[in-house]
Amino acid sequence: MTSKEISKMNNSSVDSSNKPQKPIICIHDVVVAYQSNVAIFDINLDIYRNEFVGICGPNGSGKSTLLKSIIGAVDPLKGTVKILGEDILKKGNLHGLRKKFGYLPQMSEIDRNFPALVKDVVGMGLYSTVGLFRTLNKNDSERIDRALEIVELDQFKDRPIGHLSGGQQQKVMIARGIVNDPEILFLDEPTSALDFKVARNIMSLIRKIHEETELTIILVSHDIDFIRNNCSRAVCMNRRIVWEGNPKDKEFDEVINRVFLK
Amino acid sequence: MSILLEFFQAFQYPFMQRAFVSAFVIGVVCSIIGVFVLLRGLIFLGQAIAHSAFAGAALAILLGIDPILTIIGFSVVSAVGIGYVNQKKLMNSEVIIGIVFAFFMALAILFIGLHGEYSSDINSILFGNILLVDLADMLLLIVFSFVILLIVFAIKKELYFMTFNSQQAQVSGVPVKFLSYLFLIAVSLTISVSLKAIGAILVFAMIVTPAAAAYQWTFKINTMIILSAIFGVFSAVFGLFFSYILDLPSGSTIVILITLIFVISFLASPKRRSAKKDLLECPFCKDYLPGPCDECDGDCDLGIPHTHEDDRIIISTKHLPDKEPTTHNHMEEETKQ
Repeated sequence: MTSKEISKMNNSSVDSSNKPQKPIICIHDVVVAYQSNVAIFDINLDIYRNEFVGICGPNGSGKSTLLKSIIGAVDPLKGTVKILGEDILKKGNLHGLRKKFGYLPQMSEIDRNFPALVKDVVGMGLYSTVGLFRTLNKNDSERIDRALEIVELDQFKDRPIGHLSGGQQQKVMIARGIVNDPEILFLDEPTSALDFKVARNIMSLIRKIHEETELTIILVSHDIDFIRNNCSRAVCMNRRIVWEGNPKDKEFDEVINRVFLK
Repeated sequence: MSILLEFFQAFQYPFMQRAFVSAFVIGVVCSIIGVFVLLRGLIFLGQAIAHSAFAGAALAILLGIDPILTIIGFSVVSAVGIGYVNQKKLMNSEVIIGIVFAFFMALAILFIGLHGEYSSDINSILFGNILLVDLADMLLLIVFSFVILLIVFAIKKELYFMTFNSQQAQVSGVPVKFLSYLFLIAVSLTISVSLKAIGAILVFAMIVTPAAAAYQWTFKINTMIILSAIFGVFSAVFGLFFSYILDLPSGSTIVILITLIFVISFLASPKRRSAKKDLLECPFCKDYLPGPCDECDGDCDLGIPHTHEDDRIIISTKHLPDKEPTTHNHMEEETKQ
């Protein structure tokens, strides 16, 4: 199925007055290469407001590269990426757009003694809204508290970040991703280094955030079950988009079997 | 008492006033910029910059010109060059730092060789002498330090974010590339203007050691900056004091003092003590205990009193059994730090 076909089917792409929505992310003919090696090619994808899109695929299939090309962390060799109608490749556009999205990268190790408290790390999500020389104010502190309440870590706000478990650290990163009230949240394998139970806990939290807010979520994950049960759309990658559609369709399982087991 | 009196009486001399002001300023600027150098893991890069600055000084002595321009030029070129290679990920950062370090030292030795004689100026740049700082050097130090601190405090939170996670900072709209270069230039300037007082070999100790000592005491970045500045100023001023009354080389006295502060901080570190008290390590293999437990209300398979904290299990050392268990399992690596 193509993005346009899906948009016709998908309720989330039709607003209350039944007028078809414009996609908030438009990816057209994108190719990304690292030096002479093509990482992803022929990428065409439209994403609509309030969608929960799960991107899956085997290791090295280009899932994270696709995500990074959307958020402007890697520059495409060719093609266009528009977020909220603005071309991110045009100079100056990306800086303003970045204030409208949150991003959670793959887990990385945090030094146990790094001088940062949980509230400091969440507050980093607000730095783009604060000018030079200025520090976070009381209103910002309240936003940090709210974000920590959502991830149920409000009692940990004065703890050193390095003293939390991997699961707790990942929740803090989610809090940082949503503290600036973004319109789009990008999650790059948020549970890759976590055990099953903690991963399930994180995924439940992500689902809760999607259900309770108007947030559009784009998730890269190997958790096929989670994508099947929670995402409004699945995108299956293998250097290009090999399939996209409703993850509850039988076809999704067939594609997964074909892509992962071939 | 007479020693103290002698020290304070020395302040009637302009060279001592200049030395005191220079020590104070170097203590502040080196230690504050050092916090981010340390946290960003740029320690050896700084060392390479210091040695390239020495090559610049050697060239100036060879040409018979004022060394400040060549010192700044060489140190900025080496810093930006290493920064460029690192940013493009062309090779492992240690490789390029090692090459630059050796190259500039070779240049320095070449320039000294071409000069034909080992002058006192070279000795002064290599080892530093805060008592020889003249008025022009001091004013230059004050002006540059003011500019450097202005830059650091202007971009402090962005630097902090980049230090914590550069990729996340970039995606959040922080101009990581630009600020990385700006920071490297600020480090180069700090080293350049401190060179005459502290010396090329020891200047980097004034950047790294106060920050490393402050790191032992706190989990708060602002507290770390303040502590680092206090340690830096204390060691610089008292290093000057001891070097004067004991007739010792000033640079080495200052560095020995700050190293002592670091050793005391390390031994007394509340972080290390809190890590011991943190009670999260498995007492038998020093690895972290598995978690989470299925809301066991105190009667799970661990067989030891414990509490639950979100997805973590906390066990107090006072509840440890006397004997080592024959087996103990770790689940996933989730709670490992």
